[in-house]
Amino acid sequence: MAASPPRARKKHIRASMVPYLLLLPALALFAVFKAYPVVASFWISLTTGSGALRHFTGFSNYQRLVNDPLFWTSLQNTGIILVIQVPIMLGLAILLALGINSIHVRLKAIWRLGVFMPSVTGLVATGIIFSFLLNKDQGALNWLLSLMGLPAVDWLGDPSWARVAIVLVLTWHYTGYYAVIYLAGLQGVPKELYEAAMVDGAGAIRRFTSVTIPHLRPILLFTVVLSTIGTLQLFDEPYVLTRGGPDNATMTVSMYLYNNGFSYFDSGYASAIAYALTLIVVVLGAIQMKFMGGNNED
Amino acid sequence: MENFSRRSILRLGGASVLSVAAMSALAACGSGQAGAGSEGGNGATGTITVWSWTSAATALRGVVPAFEKANPGIKVDVQDVGNPAIWDKITVGMAAGGQGLADVMHIGCDYLPGYMEKFPGGLANLSTLGADKYKDSFVKGLWPTVTGKDGAAYGLPWEVNPLGFFYREDLFKKAGIDPTAFQTWDDVVKAGPALKAALPGVSLIAIDKPASASPDLDFFQSLLQLQGSFYFNLQGEITIGSPESIRAMTVIKDLNDAGLVGDAAGDHGWSRLVGASKVAVAPYPAWAADYLATKFPDQSGKWRLTEPPAVTAGGRRTAIVNTTNLAIAGSSQKKVAAWKFVEYALTRPDSMNLMFKAGGVFPALPAAYADPIYSQNEKFYGGQPVLKTFTELLDKGSVGTNYSGDYARALKLVSDAQVKVFLKQADPATVLADAAKQLAQQTGRKIA
Repeated sequence: MAASPPRARKKHIRASMVPYLLLLPALALFAVFKAYPVVASFWISLTTGSGALRHFTGFSNYQRLVNDPLFWTSLQNTGIILVIQVPIMLGLAILLALGINSIHVRLKAIWRLGVFMPSVTGLVATGIIFSFLLNKDQGALNWLLSLMGLPAVDWLGDPSWARVAIVLVLTWHYTGYYAVIYLAGLQGVPKELYEAAMVDGAGAIRRFTSVTIPHLRPILLFTVVLSTIGTLQLFDEPYVLTRGGPDNATMTVSMYLYNNGFSYFDSGYASAIAYALTLIVVVLGAIQMKFMGGNNED
Repeated sequence: MENFSRRSILRLGGASVLSVAAMSALAACGSGQAGAGSEGGNGATGTITVWSWTSAATALRGVVPAFEKANPGIKVDVQDVGNPAIWDKITVGMAAGGQGLADVMHIGCDYLPGYMEKFPGGLANLSTLGADKYKDSFVKGLWPTVTGKDGAAYGLPWEVNPLGFFYREDLFKKAGIDPTAFQTWDDVVKAGPALKAALPGVSLIAIDKPASASPDLDFFQSLLQLQGSFYFNLQGEITIGSPESIRAMTVIKDLNDAGLVGDAAGDHGWSRLVGASKVAVAPYPAWAADYLATKFPDQSGKWRLTEPPAVTAGGRRTAIVNTTNLAIAGSSQKKVAAWKFVEYALTRPDSMNLMFKAGGVFPALPAAYADPIYSQNEKFYGGQPVLKTFTELLDKGSVGTNYSGDYARALKLVSDAQVKVFLKQADPATVLADAAKQLAQQTGRKIA
């Protein structure tokens, strides 16, 4: 009798330690590869110089950031692309999801795969293919335009059209990803609600706005926040297609950060840009969640 | 009860295995970092790695067998890292305290000052390894470009690129114009209408106007260097807005307004245009001699070389456009072995010529020019001894240009200015003054 309570206690301790031990590897990796760089990066943003010449300069990098015309240009470019691209992409994604949801089951799988494929395409492959497609003289897109009697467009060489090209490629890349998310959400809407609405005499559009959208609201919020964050950090498409040109028309904040960190060896300034971007992402995300997540009542 | 305790033991066992694995992985990363510190070592044997790009890597491989025979115990591994990928690799390595860098690195004159300035200790001091005795062996004006503020050498010159003016003799003959008669670039602009009338669809030169892949400033820079100027003067002050700079940009604007500049935007844009015979002139330095012959073998016999036109009447018609060097990483564990290779490759005429024959890298060692290859008639150039033209141009001497540690920033700002001139018909003086102001703001340098 005296022997079993200590045995029970040992088992209890061992059992309660198990969750922490299981979490330990993931926590350790997180600490080393996520938490440490975030903290170190803030420290670096307070310094200037590199290697042995690095010295503490307080918030001078941030002051320089505020007065830097190229940073404001890149922020403006990012904002323009964000405001135009996110609604177009999400709208297309919902339409795609509605379409796929209403077709035969077997075709559904094929369409879902086809629509999702662009989002798993590698960055370099995307860049090479699209720089051929968008070529001014020999690209397929301009050839299509000429078939319709429209003039050729200098997709990558004209500042305004370059922005359109970025929006195009970005939409091609990620619409499928969001369409699949919406598709999953659509399949969670109870069919009885649609039947009840039809009985009440609601047409297709009314059913969409009054049944589908309210049920999708949390998913909509999720995708809006996710795509906003993704587009604010836009780097891939400008890097492979235009390198931020022409004349800084497609220079996004992340591209500017990359140039400062890797072309100019100015890691202090690059870290300051990173933190400024983080601040903007957090503020925008909070605003969106307040606006869209708040009113759950109809 | 027994089952539960056994299962919990298994769980514990599994968890501890996972955590040990994670810890050892982290420890391996950590110890790797501690091992290759930034002080390096003076090993004299073993395998040394060399980073270079495309034809230069081929050139280096050309001299490796002879070197390894003369130095048993040292093996050389030449890696073609690619240009501009090599700059990112070296920058990241330097920022990491020298981790992961090759022992020997092929560094252009446009990046060497930046590395010397921003990463002290990143490059090995070659003077302590014995480089100073070669101070006068190289083309005049090059030694100051490889020495740091302390007067020690941090690289050894390898390649020198004197400016040339390659032209398509058949196209100019068709237009009835003799390009060897051009004295200044204004003469070239004046010949524009005749050229365009005789050769529709052909442009004189081709530049990547929107800078789609990267800044295309080779031509602008060579016009600056013909006037003995650059983005910075020898004191490090900004000269982007100088009269020479404005003159150079005005030449480009005039050529563009006359319809003589083709758009080389897009992937391999320039090569495509040249291959399709849409470009009449390649105003590029010595590296183009081998490049044109290798890339466009079907145009054999059609290209010729002449002296570049001057920017101003009576101005200089020769310039060293750029040079490249070999440097040793400060973190290298085998500095003596690496120096032996660098010395063998770059200070001996026969090594230099072996590399030239293998990869077309024009040597910065005047003693190498005695080789008959430099005076032979080139079939590709219709029997013209083009290399002799270049060695003669180098004899005339040249002024070293100061690329400075902020070259990358200057390059971007001037590229933006050139794009504005091409796409928005901007005034050269205005955009260059603006670029100079922004560069001053970003770097803290004064405007000259």
